[in-house]
Amino acid sequence: MEESLEDESLLDDNGEAELTAQTALQEIENAWMNETFAPEILPHQSDLVDCMLQQIAHMEENVKRLDKNDLRALVHRMELDRIRYVISSYLRTRLEKIERYTIHILSEEENRNPDEEPYLTPDELRFAKEYLANLETLFKTVALQHMPPNFQQFEVNKFTVKPNVQAHVFLRANQRITGVVVPGTLNEEIDFEEGSQHIIQYSAVAHLVKSGAVQLI
Amino acid sequence: MDPSKIEFLGEKQLVNIVPNFNLDIIYLISGSVGPFRAGLPVKVPIWLAVSLKQKQKCRIINQEWMNIESLNDRKEMEKMSKLFTEMPSNHYIDESQILLNVANDDIPDADRIRTSVKDIWDIRMSKLRTSVDAFVKSEGVHARLDHLTAMEINSIRPLLPHALDQMLRIQSANMGEINSQYSGKK
Repeated sequence: MEESLEDESLLDDNGEAELTAQTALQEIENAWMNETFAPEILPHQSDLVDCMLQQIAHMEENVKRLDKNDLRALVHRMELDRIRYVISSYLRTRLEKIERYTIHILSEEENRNPDEEPYLTPDELRFAKEYLANLETLFKTVALQHMPPNFQQFEVNKFTVKPNVQAHVFLRANQRITGVVVPGTLNEEIDFEEGSQHIIQYSAVAHLVKSGAVQLI
Repeated sequence: MDPSKIEFLGEKQLVNIVPNFNLDIIYLISGSVGPFRAGLPVKVPIWLAVSLKQKQKCRIINQEWMNIESLNDRKEMEKMSKLFTEMPSNHYIDESQILLNVANDDIPDADRIRTSVKDIWDIRMSKLRTSVDAFVKSEGVHARLDHLTAMEINSIRPLLPHALDQMLRIQSANMGEINSQYSGKK
């Protein structure tokens, strides 16, 4: 009797943990899609990433205890590989954006209201700064120092590459949204029905992507 | 985006399998699967079904919509309708490809199903090309794309968004010119 009770409570615990992990996984997949398709870098989701990495580590510990040829171990490892792929692809996409738009992103981060959450994680910020510093050193050692004196300046603003926020994106509305202003028109507004799909300029929906009201697809 | 990524997302869809082994519930992070009882159907994600099938540990049961009658009905509907009809799954093309490839021997009429799905895909793609053409010519800035599935949307990427981006650039360049002429005359 006692044993069966214990079993049940264990099951309950598992059930609960599973629910949150499941939602976290879904959310990180959504973040991955958004990051893939949005032209600019989006606010970081390090909470989700950390949560998922914890889950993975936890699961790996459990799997270690299983026999190598146990089918369960195999299934768990397959799932872990899938999740790890999503997370690394997500992080890699962000790094690619940071490398491409380094100067723009750094100045955005600097000018952001201190009350607002930064878009980059501390690690990403450090990466961006180091990347810029290395870029400058490279330019100076390879080319600039051999130029005539008045061309030796590393002109940061001439190197700035900005993401094209007017790029067109595909999206699905997670909820009903009214009054999205169509860009390039005078106050022409459209409504998104819940679950409907659209193509529109990113700048018109950037705030909706960040708030999670729409999902890029 | 690479089509394999769309497929990766499609592999999360569930499919019924009949296992030939016994195993308790497996608590996966993405949700639990099982319990597995030999001979009893159970729902699992496609990625799991494929791997079990390759290990010859299960038989895959066809998705409900993957039967020749309902597919032919859908095909007729798709032909008749001017708009895109709703598909049984947001990943119908990748899902059926994966399942038919790995479980050819489990699915009756596999070849006809494959042809039918391909027909539907072809009809929809030609419809899509026509409407993209009309949309670009009408110089629209926003379009609704209901019932288009993941792989179909991916197939007009990057062409359509890029075409629209370029049109916008040309437009704003023209605007700039007009404005500067205007201010020049002043």
